Amino acid sequence: MQQNLKYSEEELVVLLQRQDQTAFSYLYDNYSAALNGIIYRMVEEHHLAEDILQEAFLKIWNNFNQYDSSKGRLFTWMINITRNLTIDTLRSKGYKKQQKISQDENSVSNYHDKTLNSDRFDTIGLRKQLVNLKPDQKIIIDLAYFSGYTQEEISKEIGIPLGTVKTRMRSAIMELRKILQ
Amino acid sequence: MEIKDIISSGLLEAYTMGLTSPEETSNVQAWIKQYPEVATELKSIEQAMESYAMAYAVEPGKDIKDKIFSKIEINHSVENYGTAKVYSINPLWKWAAAASIILLIGSSILNYVYYNRYTTINTAYLQNQKQIEDQNNQIAQMSSDLNAVNNDMSVVQSKYSEPVALHGLDAAPDAAAKIFWMKNTGDVYIDPSNLPEAPAGKQYQLWAIVDGKPVDGGMIVKTKKGDKYQIQKMKSFGKAQAFAVTLENEGGNPTPKGTMYVMGKM
Repeated sequence: MQQNLKYSEEELVVLLQRQDQTAFSYLYDNYSAALNGIIYRMVEEHHLAEDILQEAFLKIWNNFNQYDSSKGRLFTWMINITRNLTIDTLRSKGYKKQQKISQDENSVSNYHDKTLNSDRFDTIGLRKQLVNLKPDQKIIIDLAYFSGYTQEEISKEIGIPLGTVKTRMRSAIMELRKILQ
Repeated sequence: MEIKDIISSGLLEAYTMGLTSPEETSNVQAWIKQYPEVATELKSIEQAMESYAMAYAVEPGKDIKDKIFSKIEINHSVENYGTAKVYSINPLWKWAAAASIILLIGSSILNYVYYNRYTTINTAYLQNQKQIEDQNNQIAQMSSDLNAVNNDMSVVQSKYSEPVALHGLDAAPDAAAKIFWMKNTGDVYIDPSNLPEAPAGKQYQLWAIVDGKPVDGGMIVKTKKGDKYQIQKMKSFGKAQAFAVTLENEGGNPTPKGTMYVMGKM
């Protein structure tokens, strides 16, 4: 982290519950790019992605009292808020869900290699590691994570039974954890 | 469900990605409270997925942060926790604040100017008011004086009035007084204006001489305002042979005790 200021997750939560703007600024600096990346993967349009990102942060700010640390990590909560908001926006705008995963990812990577402050996240390092993830494992994560597919929709999309979706998702994430360690 | 089965079910992964049903969600939340191992497992899954999200991060435009903060500040209630914070203000409010300060200054200047004008005009108004009051008082005084003169004249001019001149005696040879006796009614008036000034504590008293005896005719008073004597009504007599005025102690006496000043016969 390049910032002098660093909060533990517990500190961050307490400060945000008190509507501390400095903490919120820290939250934005550290997580906006990741959230924007998720939105961008789903909508593939920069302006729309940034509009949704603004809305997502406002929602995080306004609804922070709903965050319960006993139910999960803060960043995961933020990701889920952002993903649900993006799905709602796409639905309300009449977008049809499209499978973007098989498309050329270079266009995406070119974009964020150019604009990302990669020192902060070591994005390039992470993405190099993710190359090791098997395609059939990666696709199941991406469908859920970046396309907002339900397990039923994933089951239909890939043509595997619902029960298999759960176990394959588990093995995919186990693999991911192994790669990231 | 045993801990091992929970961990291998895939539910924790689905929960992390928000894919569980409401029922599954509440089950997972109960397990992570109940079993520390499940909680640890969930945390690892979450961290893995967070790293995955970080790997695909796309830096948003530089202006987005300001846009978000301008929106949260509008709704932000004024609360201070410890350190002082700098809040940026919507430019519209800055203009509004500047405009209201200018209006305030303008209004203050006008206030000052108008207050000065008000003071000047109010002073002039009060002076006029006092002049009018003084004049009214003068008019009232003149009118009252005129009334008195009219009264005097009506007594003097009445066709029934019989004047009796009272002449000065040894005590004050120059003194004089006049009685006007109304033949029709028996009313008695006296004009004491040529009597010398009565000393302090003394008062002139009128006497009518009826059948050789002095009868009290009343005290001669000065006008309310000053020291002037004017024609005044005294006690009435059916008949009288003469009138006299003596100087008595204030309030008078039932029979004359003081020096006689003037006297006159009918």
